[in-house]
Amino acid sequence: MALREAIAVAFDTLWSHKLRSFLTLLGIIISIWTLVAVVALVQGVNGYVAVKIARLGSNVISIEQYSLQEMTDQKLFRAAQLRNRPLSLREFRFLRAHDRLAAQVAATSSRTIGTLLKAGAHSMTDVRVTGATSNVIDLASFDVLAGRFLSSTDDRHDASVAFIGADVARQLFPGIDPIGQTLTVDGHNCLVIGQASPQGNVFGQSQDSFVDIPLGLYRALYGAQDSLSVQVQAPSAALLPALAGQTRMLMRNIRHLRYQDADNFGIIGADSLMSLWHQLTGIIASVMVGVSFVFLVVGGIVIMNIMLAAVTERTREVGIRKALGARRRDILSQFLVESAVLSSVGGVLGILLAYAFTRVAAALTPLPFTLPWLAVAAAFAISTAVGLFFGIYPAQKAARLEPIAALRAET
Amino acid sequence: MASPPTLDAIPGPLADGDAAPGPDVIIATRDLWKIYPMGSEQVAALRGVNIAIRRNEYVAIMGPSGSGKSTLMNVIGCLDTPTRGQYWLNQHLVSQLDDDELAHIRNHEIGFVFQTFNLLARATAQHNVELPLVYAGASAPERTQRALEALRKVDLYDRRLHRPNELSGGQRQRVAIARALINNPSILLADEPTGNLDSTTSNEIMQLLDRLWQQGNTILLVTHEADIAESAHRVIHIRDGQVARDEPTRRGRQAQGG
Repeated sequence: MALREAIAVAFDTLWSHKLRSFLTLLGIIISIWTLVAVVALVQGVNGYVAVKIARLGSNVISIEQYSLQEMTDQKLFRAAQLRNRPLSLREFRFLRAHDRLAAQVAATSSRTIGTLLKAGAHSMTDVRVTGATSNVIDLASFDVLAGRFLSSTDDRHDASVAFIGADVARQLFPGIDPIGQTLTVDGHNCLVIGQASPQGNVFGQSQDSFVDIPLGLYRALYGAQDSLSVQVQAPSAALLPALAGQTRMLMRNIRHLRYQDADNFGIIGADSLMSLWHQLTGIIASVMVGVSFVFLVVGGIVIMNIMLAAVTERTREVGIRKALGARRRDILSQFLVESAVLSSVGGVLGILLAYAFTRVAAALTPLPFTLPWLAVAAAFAISTAVGLFFGIYPAQKAARLEPIAALRAET
Repeated sequence: MASPPTLDAIPGPLADGDAAPGPDVIIATRDLWKIYPMGSEQVAALRGVNIAIRRNEYVAIMGPSGSGKSTLMNVIGCLDTPTRGQYWLNQHLVSQLDDDELAHIRNHEIGFVFQTFNLLARATAQHNVELPLVYAGASAPERTQRALEALRKVDLYDRRLHRPNELSGGQRQRVAIARALINNPSILLADEPTGNLDSTTSNEIMQLLDRLWQQGNTILLVTHEADIAESAHRVIHIRDGQVARDEPTRRGRQAQGG
């Protein structure tokens, strides 16, 4: 019964000091807002990336000079730099010849920084130039819009031909059909034979700014020391683990690794990409969650401060209530409920703001934003708990007031 | 009306020490002391007060400021505990109780009426009257029903939804009286109930208290105004923390005589 009285008083107080309550709650509002919004953001981006990664190529694993762990851990990377050799053309041919489980074995090598494309008066820099075997088209996510992709004949003859992305077509050949035109890749003239359909952006990075040329031509242009990346496709998802095992054994074989030696190459699949991604967003999320907890503590202290002021302001009220029969725990719970109500109202406002944020973000970006209900429930619980915790001291102060002293208080 | 009881009039056991007085005695104190530490000194506000008040008496406590009148009032009202001595309220030995037990006694046995009304400013008249029932654990419908009944008794039913700042001083004090009576206390403790009121309103409040006495309530009135004290039937004069005189008023003598 006294609890309902306490809740009614709490809302009444909140309402009669609207501005003060709002200012008091700002810390809680912002922290709960960031908390829920960050969780929603990470979940949304994860969902988006999962779809994108899955689309990179189905049932494909990639053999690289470094594993993902080695690329994301400085210590591992330094050790791997000494140990891992670039993938060579010989190794690619060996895999193509012996990887019996594979439906396709393709190789690419690419660079972006410092590349220069020219066509007539137009030029582009830092375009991703990829040397590829012709069967890459079977593993890739893009479609041919016009013309054709590299052929096995181009492979064999290291033909000076280029397959270009939509951005390259638009910028170097504005208003004209690029097919049959000449494109200069770092000084070497190539015939444009085909154009990819546009793929759009991932995180603001255009996926259409690329040129594919035959692998042999690429190595002639940029040297043979760049590591290859070998893509191996399994005929079905079920065979992917077996293919990964076989490919790894073949690589260890050709590199003459002994049983106790670690791999000196890396195998990357959609799952390892996804786990790397989760690791990255996990770091971002935990930093943001940490920041929002700092806000939360600050918000809690502000609430404690305002509750201490409220106890002083309402000393006489406490005296009246005590004179009328309120026990210590009645007064204690009244002020505890009040600070809990105060901070959970802040929590609710924060959740509403986060909800608005996800709606706006969902409307403005391709990311599939939803409000994570678990995070909402947790945020509400946390904000209430913060109010309870930081309300303990002021509430105890109120509960311990002597009834006579409280009744004599000037207010 | 019986003659005002003195300590001797209280049935035997009290004189022996610990046993409770009879059921007819609402308030009984025995050698009540209250000592406040003031720096290194100790100041005794009450120095062995012995009083006894029977059911349905109408008693005034008078005394100049600094006489210990307020301290006695606070002890009797269970807002403060005596340093020494015994105090029975409606057969409960309350001088030894802790905070929460005192809260329970205040809730069930005592109805306070203060000089400054002490209403909750943001609560309606009805809610103010309900407040003791909240702490008595009464259900919401019961609270509402009893509060409205109490407001009717003080002719404020129409004003039940007004807040204290929308009521006149006399109306506020009537709300406070309704609140004091809501839990059917053993005693109504009125501390300078007319101190903040003009004379017309004062008369109204005193008439209301008189009516309540006639209805069977026990009333203890604390005042420093002789004419207000005259409304009671017996006056206990406090001086220097002791009972200086304990005598019937003219009205009390009339009631005795007639």
